[in-house]
Amino acid sequence: MVAQGVLSRVMDALDLETFLVCSSEEEGKELAIRLMKSLGFQDVDLVFIRFGGPGARIRVRAYIYRPGQDYAWVRQIDDGEKRG
Amino acid sequence: MAFERRKILLVPLDPVHDIGLKMIRRGLEQAGHQTMLLPPDLPPEEIVSIMGKEHPDHVMISRTLGYGVGEVLGRFVDLADAAGLRDKTALVVGGMAVRPELAAELGFDAGFGPGTSVEEVVAFVEGRPYQPDLAGAKKQKKDITAGYAYEYRHAGIGNLLEKIVTNILTWSEGKISPGILRSRLRDESWDVESFRQGKVSREFSEAYAQLCDPVPQAFHRKGEVHPKTRRQTDQEIARLEDYLTKTKSRMTVSKVQHVEGQPKVFIQYGTGCPFMDIAHIKVCEAWGADGVVHFDPSWGARTEGFIGGFLTHQEDGSVVTPENLSWIKAALEASTLWQVRAHRGLNTAETVVLAGKLGADLTKINIAYGSLAAGTDPARLTVDGIEAIRMAVKYKLPFDVVTNEELAGVPAHKAFAGMLIVTALGRRLGARPILQPLFSYSPEVMIGGQMINNYIDFNAAKIEALRSIIDAPLWPGAPIGFLTQTEDRVQSSMTTSLHAALAASLRVDAISIASSDEAYSGGPIIAASRVDTLQAVAEGFRFFGEGRITPTVHAQQWADEMVDKIEAVLKEVAQSPTFVEALYAGLLGSKEEGAYPGRGGRGTVTEK
Ligand code: B12
Repeated sequence: MVAQGVLSRVMDALDLETFLVCSSEEEGKELAIRLMKSLGFQDVDLVFIRFGGPGARIRVRAYIYRPGQDYAWVRQIDDGEKRG
Repeated sequence: MAFERRKILLVPLDPVHDIGLKMIRRGLEQAGHQTMLLPPDLPPEEIVSIMGKEHPDHVMISRTLGYGVGEVLGRFVDLADAAGLRDKTALVVGGMAVRPELAAELGFDAGFGPGTSVEEVVAFVEGRPYQPDLAGAKKQKKDITAGYAYEYRHAGIGNLLEKIVTNILTWSEGKISPGILRSRLRDESWDVESFRQGKVSREFSEAYAQLCDPVPQAFHRKGEVHPKTRRQTDQEIARLEDYLTKTKSRMTVSKVQHVEGQPKVFIQYGTGCPFMDIAHIKVCEAWGADGVVHFDPSWGARTEGFIGGFLTHQEDGSVVTPENLSWIKAALEASTLWQVRAHRGLNTAETVVLAGKLGADLTKINIAYGSLAAGTDPARLTVDGIEAIRMAVKYKLPFDVVTNEELAGVPAHKAFAGMLIVTALGRRLGARPILQPLFSYSPEVMIGGQMINNYIDFNAAKIEALRSIIDAPLWPGAPIGFLTQTEDRVQSSMTTSLHAALAASLRVDAISIASSDEAYSGGPIIAASRVDTLQAVAEGFRFFGEGRITPTVHAQQWADEMVDKIEAVLKEVAQSPTFVEALYAGLLGSKEEGAYPGRGGRGTVTEK
């Protein structure tokens, strides 16, 4: 998947942080990954989760570019500027 | 143009908030304007009536609360319109709740959001264009070894170290290795100017290939790159050039330090892709990093010889090639210190030469660590390490002596004994070594309990102990806070910041810091996480300034114990037939303590 539009300007990865209402850490993990997949991200991983009473504090990550890939932000900067 | 004194009415159209407006008032008065500040919470009708009486040139409204903003401000503009006050008076609005678009929509003459500087407002009132100071912080490269005389403060330990150094130098006389031969070939026959012009010397390539393992051999004879890597394409290179030119043109560097003398801050890069490394380095420079450290892949230390090419790969660590290093060097700001690590493997000596020729400022060498915890044969790394130190002298590269064997479980005093031996060797050969104790929650303290109460005492003890032995620069690392970080970015940034504050309090010369991804191993470190810890460290430095953290009584007690134990270890090493045998005997870290004499390059040391 080549990143499109604004997403292609993300230098490497997009982190999403929030608090999910859930009943266990397992459920929180599953919800966090599902949340990212439902937003259309493929290369996703849970960076951090801590569950307690009402739910889980999470940080979940989608890599837009891993090192060694073709980073579209270089081209995007070109496209964004008028060339004579 | 003559100065025109303006009459300005300042109005907090907010229940309470008026600090921003007071700041602006002070700026306007200092610039010579006449101001009048109304109290908060006046009804718009009253404000308009005051305007009618005072006839100010400008009315400056401030709004902080984000509730009902459009309504309140809109009503005020309507009333001012109805009273016919708009012709002679400019209506300006600003504050935390204001966005310029909203101000324009409501019919204000101008709008200023949060973070507006007082100078900008004064310039606006005076009808001048505002020119922010884009130059940023002025930074200069600092020699972190300046001012150290390397005098022994502990005579007993000094004598032992000198004796050990003499033994090592005598033992190593006449010994040679493929690594030494390559470093001399690179030193004598590899011309950096020709390399920059793209000229390949066949003679050098063939002579070099003969001293290498098969993978570098295939590169130098047939141009094949390492199977795990790929060359950057011409198109990628053209884009990188373009990206660099544009980024550099708008680069400003900032400072992490709040007061003079706080430690220089290094970050470590090595995403596997030199292009991504450059992108990260530029981010770190903009956020205040003073120096950057090149991390190569682990196989780099186990292979005899370097390959070449502008190479990327998808594993941790960026390959050391002349091209990769040159690109990184070209990307650095003039003020950024650049360290290329040589310390642990079969290319230790040659790395120093390459780094020196390509303009590095610092390198890293430690014979004890490299042979006890990084897989290289003790005899091989001893002869190569001496060569590396000589090359560091020749290329004027100070080097740190890292003590990562502590992470394997070697107690601090043994790791320090090894570090001090290499430091003394450097001192004898005319080098500028830098002590690198870890600030870490090491296996030793996990078992021994020295950090049950706090992370301060044992780290402070390390600095105290080393300072009482030798007058040498100190650069805790690498990174500080090893094994105290978790995947939680707040916790991770916080522990880095506090360890940095401790380092500053102990008045050390430099620190290496991690990103907030330090304890995350599911993927590469990302740029945003580098920003996290740089910001956190800056905040720690801001908070403490010249203030100090006070260790408990344990610190001094542990420091004294450490010094005694270091002396005892050095006595044993001095009595050992050779330094290499001392390494094998576990005097500087035993198998039980997690140190295993390495095998890389075993049997490759020969007599000349
Ligand atoms: C100080 C403060 C107070 C003080 C105010 C003292 C005073 N005399 O001003 C006190 C303690 C009284 C206070 C009270 C309240 N506060 Co208060 N307060 C703050 C605080 C900490 C700082 C605001 C500030 O002064 N910043 C510093 C100045 C220099 O910045 P500034 O105002 O943005 O000004 C700059 C620019 O905006 C611009 N500017 C400002 N005005 C203008 C005007 C013009 C014409 C121009 C050109 C430029 C310009 O230039 C300035 C220089 O850069 C903020 C939180 C924060 N950390 O920001 C909360 C904050 C503003 N407060 C808040 C709230 C909610 C309140 C209360 C309503 C809480 C409550 N329910 O009790 C009460 C008010 C109660 C009441 N009576 O109505 C919220 C607002 C949230 C929102 N969405 O609106 C904030 C953001 C805190 C929060 N996150 O909850 N507060």
